[in-house]
Amino acid sequence: MTGAVTQTGDVAGAPAAAPRKRALTLGVMLIIAAVFIAFPVVVTDPATTSIAFFALVFMVAASAWNIFSGYSGYLALGHAVFFGTGGYAVAVAARDWHVAGGWPVFALCLFGGLVAGLVAIPVGLVALRTRRHTFVVVTIAIFFIFQLAAYNLGFTGGTSGILLPLPPFSAANFNQPFYYVALVILVLTVLVSWLIRRSRFGLQLLAIRDDEDRALGLGVKTRRLKLTAFVISAIPVGLVGGLYFDFVGQIYPQFAFDPLFDLSIALMAFLGGLGTIVGPLLGALVLESLQQYLTQTFSSDATYLIAYGVLFLAVILVLPRGVVPGVTEWLERRRAKAALSAAHERDAAVPTGGVAGAAQ
Amino acid sequence: MSFTALLQAIVDGVLTGGVYALMAAGLTLIFGVMDIINIAQGVMVILGAYLSYELSVHVGIGLLPGLLITVPLMFGVGVAIEFCFMRRLRDQDRTQMSILVTYAVAIVIEGILTAIFGVDYQQLQASYVNSSVHLLGFYLPDIYLIGFVLAIALLAGLYYMLYRTKFGRAVRSSLQNRTAADLIGIDVNRVRTLSVGIGVAVTAVGGMVFGATNSFNPNTGYDLISRLLAIVILGGMGSIGGAMAAAVFILVINDVVAVAWSPTWAPLVYFVALVIVLSFRPQGLFGRAAVRAQ
Amino acid sequence: MSNLIEVKGVSKAYGGVKALSLCDLEVHEGEINGLIGPNGSGKTTLFNVVTGYERIQQGEVHFNGTEITNAPPDRVFRLGIGRTFQLTRLFTRLTVLENMLVATQRDEGWLRGVMRLAGSAGERRRAMELLDFVGITRLAHEPAANLSYGQRKLLELASLLVADPAILLLDEPAGGVNPTLITHLADRIKDLNRSGKTILVVEHNMEFVMNLCSRITVLSQGSALVSGTPDEVRTNPAVLDAYLGGEDDESTQLELAQEATHHDGTRVSVSPVRTPERSKLGDSPTLLSLRGVSAGYGGGDIIKQVSLDVPRGGITCVVGPNGAGKSTLMATISGLLRPRQGEIRFNGEVVSGLTPKQILARGIAQIPQAHSLFPDMTVHENVEMGAFTVSEKALVRQRMQTVQELYPIVRDRADEKAGSLSGGQQRLVEFARCLMLDPELIMLDEPSMGLDPQTRKMVFGMVEQMNQQGKTILLVEQNARAGLKLSSRGVVLENGIVRLTGSGRDVLEHPEIGALYLGGAVTSAADGT
Repeated sequence: MTGAVTQTGDVAGAPAAAPRKRALTLGVMLIIAAVFIAFPVVVTDPATTSIAFFALVFMVAASAWNIFSGYSGYLALGHAVFFGTGGYAVAVAARDWHVAGGWPVFALCLFGGLVAGLVAIPVGLVALRTRRHTFVVVTIAIFFIFQLAAYNLGFTGGTSGILLPLPPFSAANFNQPFYYVALVILVLTVLVSWLIRRSRFGLQLLAIRDDEDRALGLGVKTRRLKLTAFVISAIPVGLVGGLYFDFVGQIYPQFAFDPLFDLSIALMAFLGGLGTIVGPLLGALVLESLQQYLTQTFSSDATYLIAYGVLFLAVILVLPRGVVPGVTEWLERRRAKAALSAAHERDAAVPTGGVAGAAQ
Repeated sequence: MSFTALLQAIVDGVLTGGVYALMAAGLTLIFGVMDIINIAQGVMVILGAYLSYELSVHVGIGLLPGLLITVPLMFGVGVAIEFCFMRRLRDQDRTQMSILVTYAVAIVIEGILTAIFGVDYQQLQASYVNSSVHLLGFYLPDIYLIGFVLAIALLAGLYYMLYRTKFGRAVRSSLQNRTAADLIGIDVNRVRTLSVGIGVAVTAVGGMVFGATNSFNPNTGYDLISRLLAIVILGGMGSIGGAMAAAVFILVINDVVAVAWSPTWAPLVYFVALVIVLSFRPQGLFGRAAVRAQ
Repeated sequence: MSNLIEVKGVSKAYGGVKALSLCDLEVHEGEINGLIGPNGSGKTTLFNVVTGYERIQQGEVHFNGTEITNAPPDRVFRLGIGRTFQLTRLFTRLTVLENMLVATQRDEGWLRGVMRLAGSAGERRRAMELLDFVGITRLAHEPAANLSYGQRKLLELASLLVADPAILLLDEPAGGVNPTLITHLADRIKDLNRSGKTILVVEHNMEFVMNLCSRITVLSQGSALVSGTPDEVRTNPAVLDAYLGGEDDESTQLELAQEATHHDGTRVSVSPVRTPERSKLGDSPTLLSLRGVSAGYGGGDIIKQVSLDVPRGGITCVVGPNGAGKSTLMATISGLLRPRQGEIRFNGEVVSGLTPKQILARGIAQIPQAHSLFPDMTVHENVEMGAFTVSEKALVRQRMQTVQELYPIVRDRADEKAGSLSGGQQRLVEFARCLMLDPELIMLDEPSMGLDPQTRKMVFGMVEQMNQQGKTILLVEQNARAGLKLSSRGVVLENGIVRLTGSGRDVLEHPEIGALYLGGAVTSAADGT
């Protein structure tokens, strides 16, 4: 998985990486997996495991958002809609169907994901009628519609929201079930992201990102593809939404539909590398941990907001393509420079072969 | 709901619409000249409101005279932001990136305001804030009237500037054909900076009126920008006239719905209207279709 | 022989400009067809209409009997019509191989599309075969952005072939490409034709078209003039007229192609070439000079080590095939583009690296290629804008009067929106605007582009008039013949390099100039290369 991340992330399979490289990549992945799985067992401090849980949630959300926005190039700034919808779906269902706390509610998260996916269909149909920057603004508008609806619709409990049933987990081990469920969702999401990335579907999305009109002229069914990616990206967000609010224990409109959520996942994906697989994961891990640390250290909202905004600006202006592509490029430049100096050292000029006339 | 109540709602809508039109005009001007969507416009209105607040409460300068200070200040803020951030945006994906950048700037400003003023709601006070004029059986709150008059005056000024001054012609030509403007010797960068400055300066006035008619805190900026965006897109991005028409249109409907149905659902109207219009006419009511002059 | 594509009565207008006017076209199956015509005759628009990139209100398009008028581009492609663009379009962030795989057509369920790998073994093999066919196999895993101009053209062509279209529409495939590659392309096209594909080519390169195509259609001013075999088209007087009126470079090629003698009688005589006589005492005879100037837009240099002199008081004309770098040259001189290396001197002073405003202040004005008026401002406002940098109002008023004498249109249509004027009228307003600054050097980038023969004559007349008033002119022209006839000095640019310089007449009558345009190599240079 990590090995597939080059600057363009050659989907069509570059010459097979040397077996040694593959073994190395596999090894690294296994170690990372082990760390993730063992984490809450080793580190039992609830404050830390909470942060870990939140990090996982955002890793899922950023990764899912990337499936749509990263691959297709359309920046959707309204995914909080799905987060909140998933949360509310679970909360309302738990309340009205009298579902007990704990694992039964976890099962309800599936319902949350499903509802989010269903909601994504009309939202996507409307939003995707527009292009590029109008699209972004429309997603923002739809986001505010949902926030307003949450405030005003009866069954959502209005301003005070809904309380979710308390899970029967012991205080000491409260976080662990949440953590593991989130981890499972994360693995599934990343798997889907990877599958799409290497599939024809993903390739055509990337083509849309580069030149949508030309893609259309090559027979790519752009409307269908965009909508599909949009819906697929909504489902994991809905899933973790339900989980998240169950963890917190309460959901209310301001919290469920928070503009900062949208910005956060966008920032995370940008920071790590938009359109890559590892990028959003890395970005989310770093940022969410940082965010939680900041909130716990500086209790004031203000400093946290300022720090966040400044960081965002720095990333956008300095590393417009994100850390992962930036680092990859730098490494490639070094490699190219090394190769070039090696070539200069050789006395004879190597004639560039290739088909006569084709090479200019 | 009586007929008079309906008419009152319409009048209210028109009056507030004027003020929103002014703020939206600033937003659309910035887009037209820079291809940049300034998400921070909402929080800048709040900043303007807080500036008026500071001046009136701690320095003792009234709201109206205070504008003489806040307007140039906000102009400076606009210029600073253009210089520091907007200029660095590359031409590719410029508009999309500008959304992220200005969103971030908005957060920073919100953070600064929260640090200084806290999250308590404020409202601007003045002798005329609560009084109103009785005219033909309608209540015309003084502050709305003043705001409306100010807005109209400023919009007229904006039009004058654009169509009668040399600078205005420079702005319009940069808008219509950047290469040609360059070749004529127009300093397009300077034009852009000044346009952004103007686009933000109007928020000082909007802030004063908004702050006097609504209670606000640093968080109110989000609500505002979403309304302004809806207005600007509905009217067509880059069209000042469109922004004005859309502002009045939406505000009237908003107020009518508030009276006829429920005040809490009223803001929904903005977005529903937006979504509907965009579905059928992606460039807005008066906007140019996707391809622009250059 | 059935008609694979039939276009009937198609009209398409942009605002006031009629791009296509009741245009008819028939493409016979199994042939290589050519579509030629002067600039602005509607060739690319026709392509856009057929492939669904532009909608039409009037007319019909049929493909193999099925109507495809206004069908969306993806449907057109799936039906079997593939098309390349004048300016190559590729997916720059994908590799060459990935670019190929985008167009593979598969009929599979939605879920499989998501799950299955981007290219099956069979599809990849086929893609590699096609890359082999065009000759860029070794670049398969390179990001498309790294390809050279010629390689991109090849990739664009190859990526269409993946879907095995029945017909290929190629828009200027040989444009700006070096001669060896042109031959390579021609061979590939013939191969494709032999394997059963129908081809329709739009080209300016006469030799390319005449040698390749079995049928040629000539477009002029938005409608089809003539359609027939290359010989029929070559000898048809109406075709020569369409070109000759403006003394197109294509007409030069037509004549060279048929090795006919000059038809002086049918052509409008242009006043004899003027050599610079006046020169102020002490002024050097060279107004503008370039030495070793290289510049580009970030992807590499477009003009390379260009050195040339523009004599004071004369008309200098820069000619060259498409993509030679003529517009880039202009942009560099006027300050829109910074030269990477080299020096530009104006009146002895170094001006390379200055801003457009500063260069303007020194007396160099440019009228760019595309329409450069402000469409929503009135004619009067547009002309006034020319003197934007002048602060004395009296001076501005005085110049306005002078300009109004020279160009009555400025007075007559002062209050109309500039965007509503015709192409030729807009050009006049642009000249008027330029003169408001009273510049010493006026640079014109293809002033006659997109204009009909009559208007062209008028425009060239205006250029001469400006020269007679004492302005030095630097002219870039696609119509080599017309431009060079007018000029005291000529420069031929090809692929960003100066190939020939000399007096206007010498360059025009140089034996190699035809070869240069027709894709051969230049074996000797007139003076300095």
